[in-house]
Amino acid sequence: MQPDRRQALAWGCAHCAVLACGPALAQTDDDPLPPRLTRPEIDGDEGGLWALVDREETRLRRSAFVLRDPPLRDYLTAIACKLGGPHCADTRVYVVRTPWFNASMAPNGMMQIWTGLLLRADNEAQLAAVIGHEMGHYLQRHSLARLRDARTRSAVMGLMAFAGGVGLIGQMAMLAGQAAYTREHESEADRIGLQLMRRAGYDTLAAAQVWSDLRDELKAGAGGDPAQKSVMFATHPGVEERQRVLQTMAGAGGGFAGDAEYAEHIDPLMPDLIGDELKRVQYDESLALFNRLAQRRPTRGDLRYAIGEAHRLRGLPADRDAALAAHTAALALERPPAETHRALGLLLRQQGSAAPARAQFQLYLQRAPQAPDAALIQSYLNDT
Amino acid sequence: MRTTRRCLSAAVAALALTLAGCANVAKISTGEVVVERRISFTLDAAWNQVNLPGRSKPVVWTQDGLPIDVLELWIGIKDGETLVDTPKDKRPLVFKASMAPDEIVALFEGVYARDGSSFTLDKAAPAQFVGGPGVRFDYTMVRKADEVRLSGVGWAAVKNGELVAMTFVAPRLGFFPRHVAKAEKAAASARWR
Repeated sequence: MQPDRRQALAWGCAHCAVLACGPALAQTDDDPLPPRLTRPEIDGDEGGLWALVDREETRLRRSAFVLRDPPLRDYLTAIACKLGGPHCADTRVYVVRTPWFNASMAPNGMMQIWTGLLLRADNEAQLAAVIGHEMGHYLQRHSLARLRDARTRSAVMGLMAFAGGVGLIGQMAMLAGQAAYTREHESEADRIGLQLMRRAGYDTLAAAQVWSDLRDELKAGAGGDPAQKSVMFATHPGVEERQRVLQTMAGAGGGFAGDAEYAEHIDPLMPDLIGDELKRVQYDESLALFNRLAQRRPTRGDLRYAIGEAHRLRGLPADRDAALAAHTAALALERPPAETHRALGLLLRQQGSAAPARAQFQLYLQRAPQAPDAALIQSYLNDT
Repeated sequence: MRTTRRCLSAAVAALALTLAGCANVAKISTGEVVVERRISFTLDAAWNQVNLPGRSKPVVWTQDGLPIDVLELWIGIKDGETLVDTPKDKRPLVFKASMAPDEIVALFEGVYARDGSSFTLDKAAPAQFVGGPGVRFDYTMVRKADEVRLSGVGWAAVKNGELVAMTFVAPRLGFFPRHVAKAEKAAASARWR
C-alpha cells in the first residue's frame, strides 16, 4: 500500500474512532500520524472552534505568564516535533508559568506546557509522554467531538478550557465544570501517545512512571484521593487501570530517556520553579515531590533546600528538626541557594542558638546583599 | 487544576455577588473608626466596606470597588487560626504566634500566590504598626484571573499572640498611586484598643 493511501485510510479510521466505531488505529503499532490537519471552513462548528482558540492564542502571546525563553521554547518544540513528525509545522509551544502539572494542545496547534509539569518530569522521556498524550487528543480531534457533545448540552463555553484556553474565558469555562475529555478519549490519547514515543525512540516506560509519580504526590496531600483532587485524574481512566495498561503497552521499555538534555534546559529555571511550588502552600504534596526529585539527584543543594523550606513553612512539631537537617545538608551539596542561610538563621534563632543564627544571617546578607528582606534580616542581627 | 478552579471560583463568586448586589456595602466615614472592637483607625478619607455573604474574614474596604482596589484587614487572628477559607482537601494558611516577621510575610505570599498569581516581594522591613513593632512589606503581582499587574503593600504585627494585618493592593498604573497614601495613613493611625 502506498504510504499516502495508508495514511489516509488510517485518518479515516481515526474519525471512526471518534465516532465510536472502534479503536482500530490506536490498537496497532502502525504509524499513528494522520496527514496534517487543514484549517476548517469558518462557517462550520470546527471552524468556529478554531476561531475561538485562535483568539485565545492571540491573548496567550501577550500573557505575562508566558516565559519568553527562546532556547527553552526551541527545546520543547523539538520534543514535540520528534513526536509529531509532519505536524511539527502546525505546532506552536508556549511555556506558561503556572505551578501545577498540566499541558494541553488546542485544535489549531497551540500547545501549552505549564511550568509545574517541567518541575515534575524527571527527564525528556517523561515530558514526551505527556506531550504525546496531548498530541493524541489533537490528532484524533477529540475537541471537535467534545464540542459537538457540549453543544447538545448548551455548554459550549466549557469547551474553551479543554480546548487549551487558560485566559479569563478559559478559566471561567473551567469553573463551569465542563473541562474534561471523556475517559474513552483519554485512553485513546494514552495509546497514541505511547505509539508516538516508541516511534520517536523514547523510553516508553516513562509514561506509566510520570502518572505514578503524580499520583504519589497527590496522595500525600491533605485530601488523599487523587481522583477527587486533580482534573488530570478525575477525568482520566482509573489510576490503577491506567498504570497497568501503560505498563503493558510499554513492554520492556528501553529507548532514550534524555536525563542530561532535560537537566541542561530545566536546571536554570529551578529557583523559580521551586519558589512557585512553595507558594502553592501545599507543603505535604511539595514534600513528596521534592523528596522524589532529591532522591534522583542527591547532589543537588537546591532540592535539599526546597525540602527544608517545605518543612519549615509547614511548621508541624516534627518539621523544625527536619528543616534544620535538610538545610544543613543543603549547604554541603552543590549550589545551595543563599536563602538556605536565612532559613537556617531563622530556625536557629527560634531554638535560641543566637551566635549560630547570627553567623547564618551574616552569610545570607553577604551572598544576597540586595535581597528584598535584607532590612528585616539586619534587624534580627541587631536583636539576636 | 482543581485548586486553581476553586480559588478562581471564590474570586469570581465574590465579584459576581458584588455585581449582583448580594454583597452589602457600607460607608466608612472619616474620623475615628473601630473595627471588630479591637483596632481603631483615624481616617482622613472615606472607604467602602464590602461584606460578602458567608465570608467573615478578612474585613474588606475599597475606594473604587472590587476588584479594582482592595484593602483587607485581619484583626486578632489567634494562634492556629486560618487566614482565609480553604477547601477541605487543601492545607490551610494558618497563623502561629511563634512566627517571625519573615514567616508572616511568607504567609501573605501564600494568600496571594496560591491560585497561581505571580507574587514578587519587593521589600520587607521592620515598621511600626498598631503602635508597636511590626513589619511592612511591599510587593508586585500579576493576578492569575485577569493578568492585571498590581502593586501592593502590607503591614503586620503580633501582640499578645494575636495577629493584626492590613494589605492594600490595586492596579499598578493609576489606582495604586491614587490610593496608596490613604492606605498608608490608615495604617499609621491604627491602634489596639
